[in-house]
Amino acid sequence: MGYEELFPKNDLSGWHANAAKRFASPFVDNFHDRIDVDPIILSNAAVNCGFTIRDFYEKPELGIHCVGYISELFDLLPVTHWFFSLPWVRELGVTLEFKDTLPPVSTGPTITDPADVDKLEPISKENLLKGSTIPMFYGLYDYVQQNLPHTLVPISYGFDLCGAGSELVGVEEFIMWTFTEPDLAHKLVDTYVETSINGAELMADKYGFAMLIVGSVLANNDIFADEQIEQFSAKKMGHYVDQCFRRGAGPQIFYHLCGNHETSYKVFKENLVWSPFNVLHIGYQGQREFPSDLLKKEFQDVTTIMGSVDTKLMINPNPAKVYERSKESLLAGRDAKKGFILGTSCETPPYTIPGNLLAMTRAARDFGTYGTW
Amino acid sequence: MDYVISDEVVKTIESRGLKVDDIKMVIEAAEASKDKITDGSKFIAKKQIGDFVVYADYSEAGGKITVNSGYGHKMKIQDIVMDTADTEWTYVKNGAKVRKGHTNLSYLGATRSAPSLVDPKSGESWLEEYLAAKTIAVAESLFSQKRA
Repeated sequence: MGYEELFPKNDLSGWHANAAKRFASPFVDNFHDRIDVDPIILSNAAVNCGFTIRDFYEKPELGIHCVGYISELFDLLPVTHWFFSLPWVRELGVTLEFKDTLPPVSTGPTITDPADVDKLEPISKENLLKGSTIPMFYGLYDYVQQNLPHTLVPISYGFDLCGAGSELVGVEEFIMWTFTEPDLAHKLVDTYVETSINGAELMADKYGFAMLIVGSVLANNDIFADEQIEQFSAKKMGHYVDQCFRRGAGPQIFYHLCGNHETSYKVFKENLVWSPFNVLHIGYQGQREFPSDLLKKEFQDVTTIMGSVDTKLMINPNPAKVYERSKESLLAGRDAKKGFILGTSCETPPYTIPGNLLAMTRAARDFGTYGTW
Repeated sequence: MDYVISDEVVKTIESRGLKVDDIKMVIEAAEASKDKITDGSKFIAKKQIGDFVVYADYSEAGGKITVNSGYGHKMKIQDIVMDTADTEWTYVKNGAKVRKGHTNLSYLGATRSAPSLVDPKSGESWLEEYLAAKTIAVAESLFSQKRA
């Protein structure tokens, strides 16, 4: 039995048709219905369908079907995604371990001698085809094409370019190297970046295009100063997207600046590549959600923006608080020039309380309906 | 003007829904007006022809024009959003250094930004071939689908 037999079909002519028009609206200025809600559902979709976090990551086709199915319950996005933060590292020698309560994690660094960093080479397209990441994504999107074609957006994940590169030597060592051995630290990230670009090209070769998801997770103001974030993350992200475009990937981009970007948000605008279809999301400014009015002020001339509700609130049994935070974010960002989406500050937690997801959608209906403000 | 255009270039131009005559028209206008950019070895020029902004990528030597490529896009070029760094390109018309930047493009009632080469002084923008033929071509198709 295939995973598709576990799920009823989505309501295509009702829910999905409307959600698809809504999803398109901020990108093409054809306002429909209301502001969209994207709580970045990943393993929460599996949990809501009775599976486990481990199931979500070990069985990508099951995981993405859960996302496609459960999105209808909360009237979320009409498209599917499935990912974790360390694509492409296995081809570079990292071993990933699946966990019961977490996404796959590295079992440890693969490079202990700095001299070995100089020998690192990006993985070629030919070798990526023989690895595990491309076959996994091909399998995933072939499954979606066959079973959830209405939700298909082929995605290539660069994800956390700086953080993934750091896994080769371990995060603590990498952070130290950014001060003591910056050339080596750059080499690590660059190797991962060029490998990811080859991966994006393979996705575009097969599907005709490939949305890009790329972020700055490790490189945030709790760890690094703005200058380091610019050098080790923002410039790498710009290069990644530029090269992906040159090789046929894109044009859609989701930029995810995770964690605290208190002041570092300022280094991204001039370093990133902005396309006709991009969304920028910033998680936090200090301890609080990144303010939607600041996001709008700084970035509305180049991108659709995504506001945040703190993920901690999503597991707090207080839907009214989620509703209030959603309202604040919507009121501050809903009139952004190139569109607004209401999100959570990162992936919504696996055990997100359903009432809190409903609170976000309710707030979007109450304060995000086009034509009512 | 004497033109050198390989069969492969003709095929590429036609596969993009353009005619070789369109490209010649762009080149002739650019040569007459100096409205073109150069990196020292070749030129890029653009001209609005019907619904397309048509580009010619060409070189000139010994009185002959070699067409390297031709491409176009339907999105209309609007204002420059920002410029961030110098490039190897120069705008022949005013001698200004062309910069890397982003430009607003409008299509089917929506205006969105895209990476571009820009001259802030004149307000002119150009899209490079990889962008027009790949990224923007897919974007135009998505705009058409999503506006439907």
